[in-house]
Amino acid sequence: MSCEYCDDAKFNKTGSGRAKTNARVIALLGQPNSGKSTLFNTLTGGHQHVGNWPGKTVEKKEGEFQHKGKRYIAADLPGSYSLSAGSEEEIVTRDYIAGGEADVVCILADASQLERSLYMLADFAPLNVPAILLLNMMDVAKDKGITVDAKLLEERLGIPALPFVASNPKDYGAFYAAIENAGRMIKTPPALPDTAEKSDVLASADIKFKWIENLLDGAVKKTQESAAAFSRFDRIATSRVMGKFLAIGIGIAGLIAAMIPLFAIGGAATLAPSLLGPPAAAFLLGVGFSPFLTSLIVGSVLNTFVFAIEMAAFVFGITFVFSFLEDIGYMARASFVFDSVMSKLGLQGKAIMPFFVSLGCTIGGAAGTRIIDTWGQRTLAMALMWAVPCAAILSVVPVLANIFFGSGTLFIMLGIFAVMVVHMMITAKVFGRSLVPEEGRTGMIMELPPYHKPKWGLLFKTMLLRSTDIFLRAYKVVFIITIVFFCLTWTADGNVENSIIYKVGRFIDPVSRFFGLGWQLFMAFIAAAFAKEAVLGVLSALYLGSGNIFETAVSKSTETAENFGAVLAEAISKPEALAFLFAMSFTVPCVNAMASTYLENRSMKWTLRIAGYYMVTALFLSLVVFRVSSLFF
Amino acid sequence: MTMAEAKKGQICAIRKIRGEARFLSRITAIGLTPGCPVEILRSDKRQPILLYSRDTMIALSRREGEKIMLEAVK
Repeated sequence: MSCEYCDDAKFNKTGSGRAKTNARVIALLGQPNSGKSTLFNTLTGGHQHVGNWPGKTVEKKEGEFQHKGKRYIAADLPGSYSLSAGSEEEIVTRDYIAGGEADVVCILADASQLERSLYMLADFAPLNVPAILLLNMMDVAKDKGITVDAKLLEERLGIPALPFVASNPKDYGAFYAAIENAGRMIKTPPALPDTAEKSDVLASADIKFKWIENLLDGAVKKTQESAAAFSRFDRIATSRVMGKFLAIGIGIAGLIAAMIPLFAIGGAATLAPSLLGPPAAAFLLGVGFSPFLTSLIVGSVLNTFVFAIEMAAFVFGITFVFSFLEDIGYMARASFVFDSVMSKLGLQGKAIMPFFVSLGCTIGGAAGTRIIDTWGQRTLAMALMWAVPCAAILSVVPVLANIFFGSGTLFIMLGIFAVMVVHMMITAKVFGRSLVPEEGRTGMIMELPPYHKPKWGLLFKTMLLRSTDIFLRAYKVVFIITIVFFCLTWTADGNVENSIIYKVGRFIDPVSRFFGLGWQLFMAFIAAAFAKEAVLGVLSALYLGSGNIFETAVSKSTETAENFGAVLAEAISKPEALAFLFAMSFTVPCVNAMASTYLENRSMKWTLRIAGYYMVTALFLSLVVFRVSSLFF
Repeated sequence: MTMAEAKKGQICAIRKIRGEARFLSRITAIGLTPGCPVEILRSDKRQPILLYSRDTMIALSRREGEKIMLEAVK
C-alpha cells in the first residue's frame, strides 16, 4: 500500500504488507463520544502511525501493542454515526471491514444510551466478521440509574459483550482475553432488504432500531426516568449571544493557559544561545573549524533547538487545553453556537476555537485544529488560519506603520482585519472545493455529549508523547530551512553587500518593483516568512547596514538602529510602505507555523500548495495596494 | 409543523422525514426516526435547533429541521 501523505516509513509496513507478519489486527469501530480514542490511546500509547488513506482526504490511524508476547495492530477506523450514509470515511471503513483486513472488529457503544449508540452495531452486523462488543461508560450508566445485563446481550448476539470503562486500567484484562479468543460472528443480524435504495432508508433504519429494541428488551433497566438533562450551564453555553461570548472567553483563556509551558520551558531554552553560544564557538574555532562552519553550527543548531523547544512547549499547552475541553464535552457546545458562522467557510462550528489561538500564534492555531473531526476540514482550517494576523504581525505592523502614517496606523490595522475576512472567504472557496467537497457538506447533525470528568493521566501522557514527537520533527524541518537561510545571508566580512541574498535582491529589483516593493523591502518580505519579528531587524540591516540579517532573523531581534525611522521614512515612499505592510501581513506565516501545519496535515503537497498560494496572493495584494495608493499619496 | 417551526419546550413525535438518501441515512443514524419522541430544548433564530431524543442531546441545523415533520403528543 502506498501512502501519499505519510513520511513515516514504518507506517507503510503496517499496510497490506502486514499480511506477512503475524500480528493480529483489531479494528475499532464506534460513534463519536463512544470512548474510541481513549481505548485507542490506552492500547497503543506512543506506538501510533497516523497518515492518510491512499488518495483520500481521510485520516488513517494505526497503532501497535503487545500482550502476552503476541503482537497486535489496532486500527482506529474513521466514520461517524453509521456505516451506511456513504461519506468518504464510511466507505473507507466499510471497505476495510468487508475486505477482511481486520481479524476482529471491536465495536464500542455508550452504555448510558445504548438504544442510540448500538446503531453502529446494527449497521455492522450484516458484514459477517468476527466481533466483540464493548459496553463502554458503564460507570456513567450506573450514575444515571441504568443497569445493563451484559450476559443476556452476549447470549442474544452470539459475540462477547463486555461491561467496560475505557479510562479504567482494571477493565483491560477482560478486554485482552476477549480479543484473544474472539472469532464468533453476530448470530442474527437485522434482516435488511438487499438494496438500500432511497425509499428504503427509513424502512431499514426502522428495522435496525426494532432489532436493537428486541436486543435490549429486558436487558436494560432504568431505575429513574431520564429527563432532558438541560443544565443551567448548558443554557448559557448554547445561547445565541452569551454562548458565543463564553466560547470566545474560553478560547482566550485557553490561549493564556497554553502559554504557561511556553514561558516555563521556552523561557529557559531561549537562554541557551547566549549561554552556550560563545563557549561553543570558541571551542569549535579552537579545534580548527572555519569561521563559516562555526557560525553555521552555533547559529543554526542552537537557535533551531530553541525554536523546536518553544514550539513543542506551546503545542503541548494548546493541545492539552483543547483536548481537555473536548474530553469534558464542552467543544460540542462551541460548535453549536458558531455553526452558522463557520459553516459558511465549510467548517464545523468548533473550528472557531483554533482561530482565536492563531491571533496569538499560528503554531498554536495549527496544533489546535486537532479538535476538528476530519482531515479535509482540518487542512482547510489551517489554510484559512494563515490569514489571521498573529501577535508578531500585530506588534510589528503598528511600529512600521507609525513611521509613515502616524495616526493613520489605526486605519491600517482595521484595513488588515478587513482584508483578513475577505481573504478567508476567497481562500475557503479556492481550497474548500477539494478539501471539503460540496456533497460532504450537510448541515449540522451532531450529538452534544453529557459532560465527563477529564482523564488527567491519559490526557497528560498522550500530550507528552505528542510534543516529544513534534519536537523531533520540528527540529528536522526548521533546521533545514535555517541552514538554507544562513547560506543565503552569510558574508565573510559582515558586509551585507557580499551575501547571496543581496545579489539576488539587486538582480530581481525590477521585478519586485512591479509589485510595489523595492529589493530591500522584498528581502524583508522574504525574511517575514522566517520570522515576522525579523522584518524590523532586516530592514535596519539593509537600509542602515547595521547588524547581521541571519542573526536578527533567527534571534527574532526587533532591535533597530537609532535613526531607523528617519532613514526609512526618507528611503521608502508611502505607497511602497503600505504595500509592504499588507504583503508581510498576508504572506506565509513564519517557518515554525508552516512546519506546524505540515506536522498536523502530514501532506507536503498541501502545505506547499497553500504556501505558494499565500506568497502569490501577498504579492498580488502588494501590487493592488501599491497601484491604488499611488493615486492618493 | 416542521421541526424548524416548533417552539422551545414543546414535546412532539416525529411524523415524517423528507430528503435525499444521504440526509435520511445521517439523521436516522443519530437516532431520529419516524415515531420517535423529541423535546425541543432551544430554537433560536440563526442557530441550529437543540433537541433531546433517545437519551441524547442533539443539534440540528435549521435547514435540516425543515425536512422533519412533527406532531404534538397528548
